[in-house]
Amino acid sequence: MGLAAKDRIRAKLKEDETTVRLLLAHPMHTGRGENETGELIPAEFIQDIRCWRNDDEVLTIKCGTATARNPYFSFQLAGGQLGDKITIRWVDNIGAKGKADTIVG
Amino acid sequence: MVDTIIEQRRTILKGVISASTLALVAASGLLLPQRVLAHWPMDAFNAKTLEDALMALLGHAEIVDDSVVQFKVGSPPSYAVNGASVPIEIQSSLKNIERILVLVEKNPNPLAMSLDFSPAVKLPFKSMIKISEDSFVIAVISAGGKLYKTSRMVEVDIGGCA
Repeated sequence: MGLAAKDRIRAKLKEDETTVRLLLAHPMHTGRGENETGELIPAEFIQDIRCWRNDDEVLTIKCGTATARNPYFSFQLAGGQLGDKITIRWVDNIGAKGKADTIVG
Repeated sequence: MVDTIIEQRRTILKGVISASTLALVAASGLLLPQRVLAHWPMDAFNAKTLEDALMALLGHAEIVDDSVVQFKVGSPPSYAVNGASVPIEIQSSLKNIERILVLVEKNPNPLAMSLDFSPAVKLPFKSMIKISEDSFVIAVISAGGKLYKTSRMVEVDIGGCA
């Protein structure tokens, strides 16, 4: 489950745009891969990621199995100011959840 | 009064029992608790072909092939050594983007991701996807009620859909 690894999020304000970068710690098993002994690894992948700026929901990302392991995303938000709080929450197909937040710097 | 309390207790007990059974079944891996995630468009993500995936998400909408969408796949572009993590970058001059879909034609399930944008979100959007073999990668942008599609051929050395 990669519990040791942590989700990382960074947000930076530059010229009236906030750049959010997000790295989630997740194995993203498709259900087609095999382990060392040749058994199928059951599917385990993030399905839904939501992103808030302060209290406004700004982005929803829905993932299939074709999203790479340890998913990485980067996107821009118009405007924003120093001190805004960016929050993300994710949930995977077996119900595991994660949350990460950061302050725009 | 007593009756209603008993009634409530029953419902609660029933709820607890069915919840725990569901959890057990889910844990055993026999049944994925997909009902819990009703908002996740299962049909579209489980679709086996490009057309089915697009149909499930967008219906019979007409798609315009257009160069207003620029996107890059792979580094260097259109080539990837390892298909397990291929960088993509989507950029466009379009305004009022509501949704972006990323699809990989030859993957077992073509739909890779679906992004729902609020007006505050701006491009470029970057991410990493898996590509199983040499394939077209397609970005569909829905903006102002219209759909725009662009595709890129990507060559992959080591397939990455395990």
